[in-house]
Amino acid sequence: MSRNLKTALFSTLLLLLISYPILGLKLSVIGIGLQVEGADARTLWTIGLAAVAMFTWQLLRDRLPGAGRLAAMTPSVPGQVKHWLTLPSTQRWIILALVMLALVWPFFGSRAAVDIATLILIYVMLGIGLNIVVGLAGLLDLGYVGFYAVGAYTYALLAEYAGFGFWLALPIAGLMAATFGCLLGFPVLRLRGDYLAIVTLGFGEIIRILLRNLTDITGGPNGISQIPKPTLFGLSFDRRAPEGLETFHGFFGIPYDSTYKVIFLYLIALLLVLLALFVINRLMRMPIGRAWEALREDEIACRSLGLNPTIVKLSAFTLGATFAGFAGSFFAARQGLVTPESFTFIESAMILAIVVLGGMGSQLGIILAAVVMVLLQEMREFNEYRMLIFGLTMIVMMIWRPQGLLPMQRPHLELKS
Amino acid sequence: MPELYHYLQQLVNGLTIGSTYALIAIGYTMVYGIIGMINFAHGEVYMIGSYIAFIAITLLAMAGVDSLLPIMFVAFAASMIVTSAYGYSIERFAYRPLRGGNRLIPLISAIGMSIFLQNMVMLSQDSKDKAIPSLLPGNFVLGESAMSGVTISYMQVLIFVVTFLAMLGLSLFISRSRLGRACRACAEDLKMANLLGINTNQIIALTFVIGAALAAVAGVLLGMQYGVINPHLGFLAGIKAFTAAVLGGIGSIPGAVLGGLLLGVAEAFGADLFGDQYKDVVAFSLLVLVLLFRPTGILGRPEVEKV
Amino acid sequence: MTKSTQHLRKLITAMALAGCASQALAADNIRIALAGPVTGAVAQYGEMQFVGARMAIEQINKAGGVNGAQLEGVVYDDACDPKQAVAVANKIVNDGISFVVGHLCSSSTQPASDIYEDEGILMITPASTSPDVTARGYQLIFRTIGLDNLQGPTAGNFIADKVKPKAVAVVHDKQQYGEGIATAVRDTLKDKGINVEAFEGINAGDKDFSALIAKLKRANVDFVYYGGYHPELGLLLRQSKERGLAARFMGPEGVGNKEISAIAGPASEGLLVTLPRSFDQDPKNKALVEAFKAKKEDPSGPFVFPAYAAVQVIAQGIEKAGGTDTEKVAAALRANTFDTPTGTLAFDEKGDLKDFSFVVYEWHQDGTKSEATK
Repeated sequence: MSRNLKTALFSTLLLLLISYPILGLKLSVIGIGLQVEGADARTLWTIGLAAVAMFTWQLLRDRLPGAGRLAAMTPSVPGQVKHWLTLPSTQRWIILALVMLALVWPFFGSRAAVDIATLILIYVMLGIGLNIVVGLAGLLDLGYVGFYAVGAYTYALLAEYAGFGFWLALPIAGLMAATFGCLLGFPVLRLRGDYLAIVTLGFGEIIRILLRNLTDITGGPNGISQIPKPTLFGLSFDRRAPEGLETFHGFFGIPYDSTYKVIFLYLIALLLVLLALFVINRLMRMPIGRAWEALREDEIACRSLGLNPTIVKLSAFTLGATFAGFAGSFFAARQGLVTPESFTFIESAMILAIVVLGGMGSQLGIILAAVVMVLLQEMREFNEYRMLIFGLTMIVMMIWRPQGLLPMQRPHLELKS
Repeated sequence: MPELYHYLQQLVNGLTIGSTYALIAIGYTMVYGIIGMINFAHGEVYMIGSYIAFIAITLLAMAGVDSLLPIMFVAFAASMIVTSAYGYSIERFAYRPLRGGNRLIPLISAIGMSIFLQNMVMLSQDSKDKAIPSLLPGNFVLGESAMSGVTISYMQVLIFVVTFLAMLGLSLFISRSRLGRACRACAEDLKMANLLGINTNQIIALTFVIGAALAAVAGVLLGMQYGVINPHLGFLAGIKAFTAAVLGGIGSIPGAVLGGLLLGVAEAFGADLFGDQYKDVVAFSLLVLVLLFRPTGILGRPEVEKV
Repeated sequence: MTKSTQHLRKLITAMALAGCASQALAADNIRIALAGPVTGAVAQYGEMQFVGARMAIEQINKAGGVNGAQLEGVVYDDACDPKQAVAVANKIVNDGISFVVGHLCSSSTQPASDIYEDEGILMITPASTSPDVTARGYQLIFRTIGLDNLQGPTAGNFIADKVKPKAVAVVHDKQQYGEGIATAVRDTLKDKGINVEAFEGINAGDKDFSALIAKLKRANVDFVYYGGYHPELGLLLRQSKERGLAARFMGPEGVGNKEISAIAGPASEGLLVTLPRSFDQDPKNKALVEAFKAKKEDPSGPFVFPAYAAVQVIAQGIEKAGGTDTEKVAAALRANTFDTPTGTLAFDEKGDLKDFSFVVYEWHQDGTKSEATK
C-alpha cells in the first residue's frame, strides 16, 4: 500500500508540474508589457480533476478489477483474421478493390472530396517511394522532401523557361530527382543509421534554402507561378485554352465545367500511383528487391555473400528519389505554384510517419496511413486542436501498433520441432 | 586593426551561440549514448524551459522583485524543475513502452511528441512573440568605440560562465558519482548493466532528466540573451543542436561541446562570408564534410560491427 | 469522329452529371468565406483579418443586411500553406460560396485565386500585398490594401529626401513580402543616387543576428531598411542597440504594430515605419473603434480595417449589382466608388485600389507613433 501511495503521490506531482505552469499560467501582452494571468476556471478544473484521477488510479491500480488487463481489453481482432489480413495475397486483393473504388470515386465524390483524394494520392506516391528507402532497404532518410522539391521545381522551371508541358516534363523531373538522389547518395551511403538520418535531413534543408536564395533562377521566396496544368492529348481543361491548344469542352462540344479539371488531375495521380505500385511489386520479386531486404536484415551477411552494399543502397536511394520526383512534378501541376516553403522538414516527417504508420514494407498499409494522415490534417472541425491531435495520434499509434496499421507477412518457412 | 576586431567579434558571437547549442546537444548525445534513439522532442523541452523562465521572471517582476540574483535563481530553479518533470514524463509515456523494437518507431513517436508539445504551448500561450526587457544590459568594449571595436555583452559572459559551470558539474557527476558510473555502464552495455543489478530504467529516466535540465539552462540563458520567445523556437534549435551532437560524435559528451562550439563559430563566419541567409547551408555543409572524412563524428568512437 | 472518342464523350458527360448532382443548394443567407491562417506561425495576422471581417458582417446584418438577405461568415483555415490554400479553395467551391475575403499570405492567395477566377468566385484580399496577385489579368480578384511596390518608393523617397544617410543597408527576411518591399526600396534608393552598402537576407524565425550586426558595423552603416515582419526586426533593433550599432531603422507596415515595442523596448524609439493611414486613429472611425473595444478586440492591426472594408465593398457591390452574380458584382466594383472606414475606395482594371497612400510614421518606445518629419 505504502509503495502505491508513494507512486501515486509522485505521479500526481509530476502531472501538476507538467500541466500547471504551462497550461494554468498564461503570459499575455498588456499594452507593451508582459503579465502573467491565471488560465480560465475550466482549464484549472480540468488540471485539478486530472490530478485527482491520476492519484486514485495509481493508488488503486492493483485493486481495480481488470485494470491490469487493460491492454487485453482493447479491441483486438481474432488471430485468424489478423493472419488472413496480413497475408500478401489478401492484401493484393484489397489493393485491387481499393483501386476499383478509386476509379469510380470521382463519379460519386463531390469536388472537394476528389480534391482531397488527389492530395491523398500524392502522399501515397511519396509513401511508396520512401518505403523503398526506409521500409525495404532500411535506410533512414529524413530529407526525402528534397527530391520532391527537385521534381516540382524541375517541371516549374521547364515550364517557365522552355515552355515544356506536363507530360514531357514528368520523365525529366523523375530523372532529375534520380540524378540528385544518386549524386547525394553516393558520398553519404557509407554512413550508418543515424548519421545518415541527419545528413539527409541536412541535404533536404540545403536544397530548400538554395531554392529560396537563388532568386534569379527559382524566383526565391515567390517561387514560380502559373505552371500549366496537364493536358489530355493536347486538350486543355481551362475555360479559355492557351495559344495552340484546344479546350476539352470545346472539342467535345459540352458545356464548360471546372470539375473536369479536378477529376482529370485526380485520374493522373491515380495513374501515377498505379504505375508506382506496379513497378514496386515487380521489383520486390526481382533480385534487386530481395537484395534490399536482405541488406536491411543483415549487412555483413550480404557482403559476405558477394552483394555490393553501396550499389544496392544507391539503387534504393535513387529509385525512391525518382518517385518523389514524379510526385513533385504532379504537385507543381496541381498547385500551379511552387514555393520553397512547401518543402520543409515537417513534410519529410509526415511522409516518414505514413511509411512507419502503415507498417513498413506494406503497400496497403501505406495507402491506409496516407488516408488517415491527410484526413487528420484536414479535420477542420477541430481547427486549432488539429495538429495537437495529429501529434498525439502519432505517439499513440506507435505505442498501440508499433508494427503499423497493416503490416505484411513475408513468405517464410518455419522449422517444426 | 578594425579587420582583426571584426573577426574577433565574429568569433565571440560564434562561441556564444555555440555554447548554447552545446548545452542542448548534451541532451541528445546522452540519450543516444544510452538507448540509441534520437529524442526529437528535446528542442521542445528547451522551448518549454524558456517559457517557464519567462513566467517566473514576469511573476517576480509583478511582485516587485527587481534585483538580478534572486530573479535568475528562481528562473533557473523553476525552469529546471519543470523541464525535468517533462523529460521524465516524456520518456515514461512515449518512449519506454517502445524500447527494444525497431529503431524507427521511437523516432516517429518523438516527432509526434515534438508536434504535440509545440502545439500544446501554442494553444495555451498563443503563438505571439513574448518579450521581456534586458535583465543584464551593458557591454565590455575592446578597442576605441562600440562601433569599431569588439563588444562583449555581460550577458555573453554570463552564458560562457554558466555553460562552463554546467559542463564542469556534469563531467564531475559522470566521472565521480555512483549514478554517473551507472550511466557510463549503461552506455557501454545496457543488458549487461541490467544483469549486474543496475536499475537501467531508472538510469535511462535520469538521463532524460539531466538532458532536460540542461536544455532548461540553455532555455533560460537564451531567453535572457534575446529577450524574446515563441512556441516555434524549439524546432530549429533542436535540429541545430542535433547537428552539433552528430558533428562531435553522437554519444560523446565532450564531442557535443566541441561540436556545438564548432557549429556556432562556423555559422558566424559563414554568415559573415556568404550572408546571413546561408548560415544554415554552411552549418549542414560542415556536417556533411566532417562526416565524409570521419563517419562517426569528430570524437565519436568508431563502431565495431558485430555479426 | 471515331468511335472511341464518342465513348469518351459519353463517359465525360456522365462524370459531369455526377459532379453537378452533388453540388450544395444555395441558402438564403449570403455566405462569405473568410480564408486565412487560424493555425500556424502567422495566425495572429489571420486573426486581425477575421476580427475586421466579422465586425463588418455583424454591423451590416444589424443594419438590415444586403438586399434583405443576411450575411454569414464562414472561416476556412489555410495555415498560410499554399497546399492547404488550394484545398480550402476547392472546399469553398464545393460549399457553393461565391464571395471570399482572404487569403492572408500572398503565396496562399496566388494558387487559391487561380481557382476562384476559374470558378467565378469573387475574392477580395485585405492583406496580400504582392504585386503578382493582381498582375495576371484576372477579373474577379480584388484587394483593399496597397501593394509592396507602392510602399517601397514611399520609403525610398523619404530616406533620400528627408533622412539623407551616408551609408544604407537593406535587409530582408527572404520571404515574398519582405524581399519584395526591400527590392523596391533598394531600386528607389539607387535611382536617387543613394549608396546601398549591403543588400542581405536573413532567415525568418532566426534569433541571433550578431553576425549581421558585426558586418553592418564594419560597413559603417548609419541607416538600415528592413523588409519583413516585426519579430525579426524587434530582435534586430534590440541587438543593434546592445552591440552599439548606431544606425536608424525603417520598416514596412508588417513591423508596424505595438509588439515591436514590446520586443525591442527602448530600441524601438525613433524607428520609421511606412503605414497606411492608421484607420483606428482617424476620428471618423471612433464609433467603430469603440465597437471593437466593446468586444475586447484589438482594432490596431494593419489588416483589421482593410478586412472590414472588404466585406463592406462586397455588400455594397451586391446592392449595386442588384444580385449575387459575381461577374456583375465585379463590374459594379470597377464602376463605382465605395465609402468605407479606410476611405473612399475605387478599383482599377487590375483590381487594385486606385489610390492607396502610405505615410511615414515615427515609432516611440511606448508603442505609439506620430507622423515623421525627418
